[in-house]
Amino acid sequence: MEMPKVTRRTFLKVSAGSGAAVAAAPRLLHAMEADLGGKDFGPVTMAERKAIPINCHVCNIQDGAIAYVENDRVVKLEGNPEHVSTRGRLCAKGNAGMWYSYDPDRIMFPMKRVGARGEGKWKRITWDEALTELARKLDAALKEDPNTIMLKYGRQRTGGVIDRFMHTLGTATLLNHTSVCESSKKVGMEPTWGPDIETPDFANAKYVLNFGSNILEAAYFHNPLSQRITEGRVDNHMKIVTFDVRLSNTAGFSDEWIPVHPGTDGAVALAMGHVILRENLQDSEFINTWTNVTVDELKAHYKQYTPEWAEKISGVPAASIERIAIEFASTKPATLFTYRGPAKHLYGSYNEKACMMLPIMTGNIETRGGYCLPRGMGWPQPQPQPPKPAHGSYLADHPDYPLAAHKVSHLVPFWIADGKQKINVYISYQDNPVYTNPGAMAVWGKLFKDEKLIPYYVSMSPFMGEETALADLILPDCPYLERWEPESMPNSLWPWVGIRQPVHKSLGESRENRIMMRDIIWKLDPDGKRGMKKFWNFKDGEDYMRHHFDNIPGLKEAGGLDFMKKHGVWPIYGKLDPKSGKVVDKTGREIKAEYGLFKKELSAADMAGTTVDGHGTIMKNGAAIGVRRNGRNYVGFPTGNRVINVRIDQWAEYGFNPMPTFKRIPWHETMKEDELIMTTFKLNVHKQSRTAAVKWLAEIAHSNPMWINQATANKIGVKTGDLVRVESKVGYLVTKAYVTEGIHPKTVAIPTGFGHWEYGRLATLKLKEKKAEYSHGQDDADLNNVWWDDKGVHPNNIIPAVADPIGGSQGWYDTVVKVTKAGPTDKYGDTQGDWEKHYAAYKETLRYAYTGDLHRKMHPEMASWAGPASVKHKTGGGH
Amino acid sequence: MLTELLLETPTKVSHGGAPHLLPTRLAIDELRARADVYRLLSGVFVEEPSAAFLDALRRPESLGQLAEAGLRFDGDFIEASIDVLVEQLAIEYTTLFANSGGFPPVESVRLFGRFKQEPNFETMQTYRRLGFVLHPGRFEVFADQIGVELMFVAELLDRSAAALASGDAADAKRLEKEIKRFWVQHLGRWVRGYAQLIERSAEHSYFREMARFLRGFAAEEIEAMELRVEDADQARLVVPKAEVKVEFNPDEPVCNGCVSETIERQGGAQTLHDLR
Ligand code: SF4
Repeated sequence: MEMPKVTRRTFLKVSAGSGAAVAAAPRLLHAMEADLGGKDFGPVTMAERKAIPINCHVCNIQDGAIAYVENDRVVKLEGNPEHVSTRGRLCAKGNAGMWYSYDPDRIMFPMKRVGARGEGKWKRITWDEALTELARKLDAALKEDPNTIMLKYGRQRTGGVIDRFMHTLGTATLLNHTSVCESSKKVGMEPTWGPDIETPDFANAKYVLNFGSNILEAAYFHNPLSQRITEGRVDNHMKIVTFDVRLSNTAGFSDEWIPVHPGTDGAVALAMGHVILRENLQDSEFINTWTNVTVDELKAHYKQYTPEWAEKISGVPAASIERIAIEFASTKPATLFTYRGPAKHLYGSYNEKACMMLPIMTGNIETRGGYCLPRGMGWPQPQPQPPKPAHGSYLADHPDYPLAAHKVSHLVPFWIADGKQKINVYISYQDNPVYTNPGAMAVWGKLFKDEKLIPYYVSMSPFMGEETALADLILPDCPYLERWEPESMPNSLWPWVGIRQPVHKSLGESRENRIMMRDIIWKLDPDGKRGMKKFWNFKDGEDYMRHHFDNIPGLKEAGGLDFMKKHGVWPIYGKLDPKSGKVVDKTGREIKAEYGLFKKELSAADMAGTTVDGHGTIMKNGAAIGVRRNGRNYVGFPTGNRVINVRIDQWAEYGFNPMPTFKRIPWHETMKEDELIMTTFKLNVHKQSRTAAVKWLAEIAHSNPMWINQATANKIGVKTGDLVRVESKVGYLVTKAYVTEGIHPKTVAIPTGFGHWEYGRLATLKLKEKKAEYSHGQDDADLNNVWWDDKGVHPNNIIPAVADPIGGSQGWYDTVVKVTKAGPTDKYGDTQGDWEKHYAAYKETLRYAYTGDLHRKMHPEMASWAGPASVKHKTGGGH
Repeated sequence: MLTELLLETPTKVSHGGAPHLLPTRLAIDELRARADVYRLLSGVFVEEPSAAFLDALRRPESLGQLAEAGLRFDGDFIEASIDVLVEQLAIEYTTLFANSGGFPPVESVRLFGRFKQEPNFETMQTYRRLGFVLHPGRFEVFADQIGVELMFVAELLDRSAAALASGDAADAKRLEKEIKRFWVQHLGRWVRGYAQLIERSAEHSYFREMARFLRGFAAEEIEAMELRVEDADQARLVVPKAEVKVEFNPDEPVCNGCVSETIERQGGAQTLHDLR
């Protein structure tokens, strides 16, 4: 018998023609984690390992996980197959989470500084000694003014404990990290439609516009959305177009990567809106019914944003804008996703708004395969609760940024230095601004080292981060595998609540945050006479969780906390099908999401006692609860008027353009020929600042050469591996170049998460040079082989502060730099930032605030605005 | 006393009431003396030394004995006032053993690079099996912390002495086996290298000399018990190649396939003896 002749061409043909048969062929090899359904066995003992459902917290996507425990330690982490968003899969970071608990550099006892700040001299003290000292400092601060007690958190998922603590003390000086994260995305969205994020239904979409988001590696909600976007791409044959300055893996996975000049995504989006409206491809009924503008108003407004105008600004050819706009508007369903790309700029809120207008004007809101509202769940708080503080805090609610509902925390060092608010006790919780914020050591390091500005600094941390190294007192917090925390995250179309529960007793004398805060309050108010103790009336973390989970309707009947401890998540929507990787119902069909949430109708009971105003807004007890349209009473969108606010009147009050608009970054317009824009990005195996010491991840990625375009590199005579000197207006650094076509020629990009000077031996490689003496882990194949000696270079010293005058975001991608081949005195890893120069940059960015002198210049279209003095409401923003 | 705080013996060892079978005073004394050294070293490393502990150590008779054992403390230990010494050693203890970037005196970290790995579980199992419960001292300690491991052996030695004193040689033998097993499975695998590391890294002569003492004592114990156990802690000294004495030419190829040329050039075969 003649053998069939198989060449590459023939088997490609066979593959193309036999798709259906391939799909129907039996698949005997399934992913083990899905097949075993939450079980695991020791390879040596073959004994079933104890499976404890938890919520991953290596990063903030909050996937459901299972910790497998053998001999009282976590030996493996895996996705929780009962979790509707995670569906049994974790990313690389999630798999490596146990390294946090067992890190040899973990701090497990309270420690008191004994040398100069930052000198590295510490003394271990008992909890009682630590609490006594801290209570004394807090007491003194309380006597002067509660607001002199400041707490700034980075990642906090305590479910309300931090607010309870600060409210108990009566201080409003509570700061977060959001302005260096995504705040302008939030502020671009919240006044428009209510929530601060969207849920793109990738799995069912036919067309996706992705602006500056690296879904497959880093963005919100990396793991669940990676699964869905892959499904949409493979099973649903959807098209993806990615606008990004860099060829990320998501851009590479897309059908088209459109390199865009940094900070100009908004112009591209507006021009696409222009094309859609010009071609009459909008969903008129949706616009007229569900937004606060008419189609005619929108058309008139968008007329100015031509593709040619956008091409000049963004470098994206007008023809591409035309084509993609038409494709997007004429393909249904279509969705859009953004993350930091558009938002982390001087006018990031405008950019975000411009992007979200595309699904709005095409009516892709809350449709299957469209751009959906986020779904989340809440939990009740233990009672009684402390009242909110009596007086506001300048630092937490800065009057120059009234619309920045998520604060402008990266400007705090300058405000403190300016004497705007006195601080007596500074507490940080999971927050490392000395590393993560613009100016890094040059700004935050200088602040923390100044004992006049920060007389007493307490760090609640399990690790010696760059910030903790500058503290006066360290209170050892627990890593996530040893904490009790309630959780919910809108990371798929199904709402859920989850639990983080300790997998074993916390190591050493670490205490989880809610316990240490309780102990501080108990120390301050031992007999309850000061009225503080009553808010902290719980035995332990589990007891606290009972207050949350035993009181959620539905979950309560299912078993409350006991159910959560067993399953880790509620509700359980179905079973994970090991073949398809999808959650299915009893009949084997994939469970369906609910769409059209805003079209839910109010019941007669809801309507009792309501009034309806001229715009159809249904009011009850002074609040809008719905909107009447075509004689029906809908719940609408969670905004003040229950519709989508294309026009945000509140913005106009402060002299900002209330309609979708774009503002070019002035210093980008005047860039010289040899100047470039420096951006940063995250790799798939690291998060911002806390994974460099995780061996499995550090081994995969431990250094961060700067991406530079081939043509640009040619001009300065640089090849991959060459040292380059990167200079901005506030400092310089020396790093290695990675020459690639995969980046916009006017941009360079440095990954973040590397170049630590603290954070333990693996992050700093400090002990590496003394390997023979100091290395350890002979029995551990992983640690016995730390083969690299390049830890990378951290870029933040040379990034100046920029604040979006609306959303308050740091303009991470606005830094203009000059890149040259390194000189003979330049050494790899050199980096220098200058406080004076950073301070000058801060002063410059204040000029763009609504109270600043450049605000009006940037908004000629708002000529009729009567100036800052005309503003009636001094605070606002958000929802 | 630290031992009482840390290792509690809830069950009394039964000596079976056997008649005293030639319990040599000498053997019992030696067991007790060894137990004392273990306990002393445990006290050094298990937590920051207290004023009472340091006072006792600085008594002339103790110092004399330690000097006889070859320990050479500097003025920072001998001359400092007790308050200053307590404070300085607390800081040095934190730097060496409790702070990030230090060298946790914990077997799991030394051999597996992380806290709470197999040695922690195994030692806890062993303590439990032999009727011990681990209690915190001034601070929580891991079951595989050096001070606890040393204290465990001290307890077994005391029991062994008690067994001999009550004529239960079989029990003493069984305990001796337990001690040997514990050395082979745990202490022997890391304390010598680790002690060397501390000896080199300590800034205060107290920890430097005590680490030296620990290293010497460990080597002595291993030899006396006739154990063969390799120290796997990478902190052990790497002996320079020039100082390695070999019974054969280390550069000599091990197969015969390609030696002839060199040997022929050297004028024929040589015996291994000549190459020493
Ligand atoms: S994306 Fe990865 S690290 Fe983040 S929560 Fe999910 S599994 Fe954990």
